[in-house]
Amino acid sequence: MRTRTRTGGLVALAATAALALSACGGDDSSGGSTEGGGTASGGGEKITIGIKFDQPGLGFKEGDTYTGFDTDVARYVAEKLGYSEDQIEWTEAPSAQRETLLSTDQVDMIFATYSITDKRKETVAFAGPYFVAGQDLLVAEDNTDIQGPEDLEGKNLCSVTGSTSAQRIKDEYAAGVQLLEQPGYAECVTALLSGQVDAVTTDDIILAGLAAQPANKGKVKVVGAPFSTERYGVGISQSSDKCEDINTAITEMIEDGSWEEAITANTEGTGYTPNSSENPPTPDACA
Amino acid sequence: MDAQPTTPSDAPDASPTAPLPTPDAPARADELGPPLVELHGVNKHFGDLHVLRDIDLTVRRGEVLVVIGPSGSGKSTLCRAINRLETIDSGTIVIDGEPLPEEGKELARLRADVGMVFQSFNLFAHKTILDNVTLGPVKVRRTRAAEAKKEALALLDRVGISDQAEKMPAQLSGGQQQRVAIARALAMHPKVMLFDEPTSALDPEMINEVLDVMVALAKEGMTMIVVTHEMGFARKAAHRVVFMADGQIVEEAPPEEFFTNPKSHRAQDFLSKILTH
Amino acid sequence: MGDYLSQFLRLFESYDVLGAFWVNIQLTFWAAILALVIGTVLALMRISPIPSLQWAGATYVTLFRNTPLTIIMVFLTLGVWGQLKIQLADDFPSNFFRFAVLGLAVYHAAFVCEAIRSGVNTVPLGQAEAARAIGLSFLPAARIVILPQAFRGSVAPLGNVLIALIKNSTVAAAAGVATETSSLMKTMIEFDSDVIIAIFLTFAIGYVILVIPVGLATTTLSRRLAVKR
Repeated sequence: MRTRTRTGGLVALAATAALALSACGGDDSSGGSTEGGGTASGGGEKITIGIKFDQPGLGFKEGDTYTGFDTDVARYVAEKLGYSEDQIEWTEAPSAQRETLLSTDQVDMIFATYSITDKRKETVAFAGPYFVAGQDLLVAEDNTDIQGPEDLEGKNLCSVTGSTSAQRIKDEYAAGVQLLEQPGYAECVTALLSGQVDAVTTDDIILAGLAAQPANKGKVKVVGAPFSTERYGVGISQSSDKCEDINTAITEMIEDGSWEEAITANTEGTGYTPNSSENPPTPDACA
Repeated sequence: MDAQPTTPSDAPDASPTAPLPTPDAPARADELGPPLVELHGVNKHFGDLHVLRDIDLTVRRGEVLVVIGPSGSGKSTLCRAINRLETIDSGTIVIDGEPLPEEGKELARLRADVGMVFQSFNLFAHKTILDNVTLGPVKVRRTRAAEAKKEALALLDRVGISDQAEKMPAQLSGGQQQRVAIARALAMHPKVMLFDEPTSALDPEMINEVLDVMVALAKEGMTMIVVTHEMGFARKAAHRVVFMADGQIVEEAPPEEFFTNPKSHRAQDFLSKILTH
Repeated sequence: MGDYLSQFLRLFESYDVLGAFWVNIQLTFWAAILALVIGTVLALMRISPIPSLQWAGATYVTLFRNTPLTIIMVFLTLGVWGQLKIQLADDFPSNFFRFAVLGLAVYHAAFVCEAIRSGVNTVPLGQAEAARAIGLSFLPAARIVILPQAFRGSVAPLGNVLIALIKNSTVAAAAGVATETSSLMKTMIEFDSDVIIAIFLTFAIGYVILVIPVGLATTTLSRRLAVKR
């Protein structure tokens, strides 16, 4: 029991820190509208959804509008749960804060390229997956000699800090690759466009989203040979009762063609198609 | 301590002047050499304040000149202008035939020939007494360290501080520090020594030990320009007294004549004020 | 508490925590030396009698003190390396390490300059006048008389700059140094989010251990070195 109490104190401390960090996240400005947190459903209540704000094609904030595949799935699911678009409160969920946001009930659901892993399941729960991504490479449009990770021997590769995707290529496919880690994918693409790196690596759909950006269109392409599987789930708190409903919504979205439509719309002009052996996925059974 | 025969080497501060020659009478002006420091039409402003007005002044080799005057009369500025610690707006200053150069190497070289003693001593606070005295010769004159040290110790001995050579300035009394400052200036073998109110910051009991050193220096024939209110010194050592007021030289005369029979009203007024106590 | 112990053990076993701190210490070391050199030159420029040098020094300080360090780092990697294609080493790790050191140094040099200038302000004007009066020109006077006293007066502010530098060395991540602590922390959170508090504590305690001795040392040093007047 003693340990419990201490843990509780520390969690509260971490939560305070996270709150301070996300003070501009616009959690709730209208008082008690989010009361009831994880268990609220339907009616005039709002639902808070965590997404990426800086990942074009997936979760991207442009002024007051939110675009991308993650947001499209989130809207569809929210609607099935009984929330219209204007009842959705979007919150930024940076990778490092996702668990804290959920376990402190600051958000109800997270759609943010959130891979389902056993370690994460120890602190949060997942619905879905709603998409299966795979690690892939983004190269210059005219590049023909890089067909897969093995071709990176002696080449320069960029990825973002805090992911091990680049290190995996060095360890498993091309020991002679030079790695550059940057704070964000935009920086990696800049380095790719300037010719200082030969490829950028991360999940294929993230790369496709980057390639679909107006500034990059026609200059870069996704190689299209994914060599891992990342199962994107919907992050929810462990006490949430929404898992089943979310899974039902995802299945409906796939069946009525909205899922396919969303993929196409968000990767338009890049020639990207999701790995068909894994997609569309079937949601896991809820815990 | 390599003591000269006349030096009681164990003499403490009480009698620093023991080895120095006793003055018999003030030096006579007709023994003086050619002009060494010449000021022509020197003007300076501090903002709206005209602190030096058309100063013309010639100091000859071997001459001891005392500059006296009320505070704010420009006497300190005059003294500091001679080695260009203050710039001037117009006019010329010539030292030993050379006009004072602009800021730079030439000016530094010329300053090395002009010794300066400040009201607040300004010993280098992070250096020992000995290092204060050897710094100039070693870094500017490129004298060998051993030679500079030998001469520095002799100079310190002359001003009665040789037993303090390894101390830091803050460990010395004001009078001692000022004597070190004089030794520091002398170590450069200056052509002329400037004293900017050398005793004004001293406690009364320390004034004489500094003045004694200055009197001895005067007797040896050093060219000196001394800004001071010490009339005893002026009477004993000066060839000439210059009285300044409002940035102008109002009156100049041999000391005895100036103190007993000042001609200008400003000088009479000033002397009456400092003599009534 | 035993719970946490095992979590820490797990983190230290699966990640090179000490290695990451060592990278930050190395970044700090080289950047501190370079920043001290640049900062001293800047301080000399700012106290020099030459107006154009004063202006250049002041402009540098204003520019770099008011530019976020991250932007300097990104400029160095994406601008200088990415666009201008200037390389400081052939292999990526050394190249970006050097860019990070450079970025940290040019940024903190502005603060070093101001710390030294505050030290110069503790040196009475008479010291400079006395130095000039015995014939020292500006640079020797600065080197022999002014700076030795100024440095003693600026130990405390310089210590603060060093502490800031230690913590800011994590911004090297923005210059592509991926082996340092903040990058490792990001990786840990990505893959071991279940022990997030242990991760947080690991780095918080690590930096406290690095910074506290610096604070103590500068306090002691500034007291011991103070010039008595």
